[in-house]
Amino acid sequence: MCGTFLDTPSEFGKNYMDFNNLFDHLGAHTLDGLTKGSIYALVALGYTLVYGVLKLINFAHSEVFMVGTWAVLGTYTVLGVGSGSGLGMVLLATVVALFVAALASASVALAVERIAYRPLRKKNAPPLIFLITAIGCSMVLVEVFGHVLRYFFGPPFGRAAVSVPSPIQTTTLFEVGGVGFTNVQLLVIVGAVVMMVVLDTFVNRTRLGRGVRAVAQDPDTAALMGVNQDRVIMLIFVLGGAMAGVAALLFTIRFDLTKFDIGFLIGVKAFTAAVLGGIGNLRGALVGGLLLGVVEIYSSALFESRWEDVTAFIVLVLVLMFRPSGILGESLGKARA
Amino acid sequence: MRRNTRYGFGAVAVSLALALSACGTTDTDGEGGDDAEGLTASIGIMGALSGGNASIVIPSVNGAKLALEEWSAEHKDFKITLQEFDTEGDPAKATPAATKMATDENFLGVIGGAFSGETRATKGIFADAGLTMISQSATATDLTLEEPSPVFHRVIGYDEIQGAAVGKYIAEVLGAKKVYVVDDSTTYGQPLADKVRATLGSAVAGSDKTQEKQTDFSAVVSKIKTAQPDAIFYGGYAAEAGPFLKQLRDAGVQAPFVGGDGLYGADFPKAAGEASEGAIVTCPCLPSEEAGGSFGADYEAKFGEKPGAYAAEGYDAMTIFLKAFEDGATTREEVEEFVDNYEGEGLTKTYKFDEKGDVAESNVVVWAYKVQDGALVADQEIALG
Repeated sequence: MCGTFLDTPSEFGKNYMDFNNLFDHLGAHTLDGLTKGSIYALVALGYTLVYGVLKLINFAHSEVFMVGTWAVLGTYTVLGVGSGSGLGMVLLATVVALFVAALASASVALAVERIAYRPLRKKNAPPLIFLITAIGCSMVLVEVFGHVLRYFFGPPFGRAAVSVPSPIQTTTLFEVGGVGFTNVQLLVIVGAVVMMVVLDTFVNRTRLGRGVRAVAQDPDTAALMGVNQDRVIMLIFVLGGAMAGVAALLFTIRFDLTKFDIGFLIGVKAFTAAVLGGIGNLRGALVGGLLLGVVEIYSSALFESRWEDVTAFIVLVLVLMFRPSGILGESLGKARA
Repeated sequence: MRRNTRYGFGAVAVSLALALSACGTTDTDGEGGDDAEGLTASIGIMGALSGGNASIVIPSVNGAKLALEEWSAEHKDFKITLQEFDTEGDPAKATPAATKMATDENFLGVIGGAFSGETRATKGIFADAGLTMISQSATATDLTLEEPSPVFHRVIGYDEIQGAAVGKYIAEVLGAKKVYVVDDSTTYGQPLADKVRATLGSAVAGSDKTQEKQTDFSAVVSKIKTAQPDAIFYGGYAAEAGPFLKQLRDAGVQAPFVGGDGLYGADFPKAAGEASEGAIVTCPCLPSEEAGGSFGADYEAKFGEKPGAYAAEGYDAMTIFLKAFEDGATTREEVEEFVDNYEGEGLTKTYKFDEKGDVAESNVVVWAYKVQDGALVADQEIALG
């Protein structure tokens, strides 16, 4: 199909929009987009939780994700798994990696909160100071992995991309209407959705979740009602960090790679997804993430791959023009209060 | 008033004394200095010594070090030092380094820049200072053909030659009838891939452009799967080629994967993991085992590893400068004149720079390397022309 489309070299210039490719493989592209978007959505939760409660954009969150990918690499290395491992070992490694990555990311998120944000909050620093601190934390974490750890431990730390072993071999499980569903794609999408449902239930149905919503809605009144604000804030950083850790595991399963600055682009996209869905809104993060992923893959299929960011941000601008608070609207507290 | 005058006299006396003693030192030095042809000078070497692409620069630095060490052992009256400048391959970081070398009279030559971007950004500074550059690995075509600089030379062939060689290799050696060509839209990847496209002509079954820092290649992989090519060419660097190749193989695309010298070095097999097995990387650099003499063994003895990317080219670039000093060049003008007129046999090829600073096309070598067990192994030389 593509061959006939591009029979002569002189037709290169005309190959601006490849509708054939997009529509002939719409199902496959949608599936790829949902897979990509699931990871954005999980990372977006961290931005949305923190913003919902503190009205702070935690730019260090992209590095919380990055630390998670390294934790996965570390787990696999310690357990010695690779592509040839047996099913039992693969299951064990994946579960252990899930907990290690979630723990590592949550710890880093919590550490950033305790070291960088809480002292400022106690001094009533203006929002701009938090923003600068967040960017500073992000840079410090990037350099820790890109430089400091390499200095002490050598490779694989450093600035080069590192391959993460892939214990789960990609295989096509079944086909629906010519679209092959691979185990990895299903794992990523299902894993992300399950985590979102768990988090949504936690925030909306449990006592601790009620505390989170109360602080998001009105911190002072919540404090008067006996909600410990600092504990709630620690909780949201831990929750957001754990979600980023799970996202890191799913990312390494899908892309088998990590790098000291791997968080940057995903962080920017996840933040975009959070804004697109309505920042501060948990379900908005899911909608925004999936939409962003699908739009990016469609535009890569329709144009060249390098246009995906352009298209993604045009969609963001268009959505915000008509719904300035995002698709599902802002606010963690109000929607369900 | 009187006190001041007295201090004034004192000051004059002190400075006179100083001046006299200074003369004295110069004199003794002159008498004892039988090393008339000896020279104290520095050569700068500039490139990504750290960062994601350091593995394609450090071997050339080591090659230059080896050349200097061997030469200095035979020429003890010369005091030549090699000073390293880490640019991380970033043009913005290369500019201050270039200014430092340009303004320090001690520097009589520069090996570099290692990458095209930093070379483009700094060659004006070196040209103004009249400081000779010999690049070991900057391959962008425009550096010599479109915007030649009087001080710029390079010991390797440029991307146009490599692109044509790659096209020829894919068509003739791999025998591919349908080729999918992808580039990363950078000033390195795009022109290289364009030349490959032009050489392959109607054999190009499809084309796509990705971008730097991209990790998800599912859309382009899906396009390639549909096009069912016999071979895939990627013009770009290791950080993106790694995940791209992995996703291709995961999707069941088994066609041979060919990349340019941006993938040459240890970073590519590291980033692509097992998927890189059998991938082909072309490079206008000579495999160390093909280099004349005991270079490979000497290098391994000194640095504890086999010579990597452009190691022999780094050795050659340094050697040309050293020959200039041996010939009696002591100023930047004399070095430039010597290098411009230099004719000689290096480890990798016969050197004679044309007026734009290139070696003759007939002397350029392009090799195909294959990834075997996570390392690049020389496969075959690609015949040019």
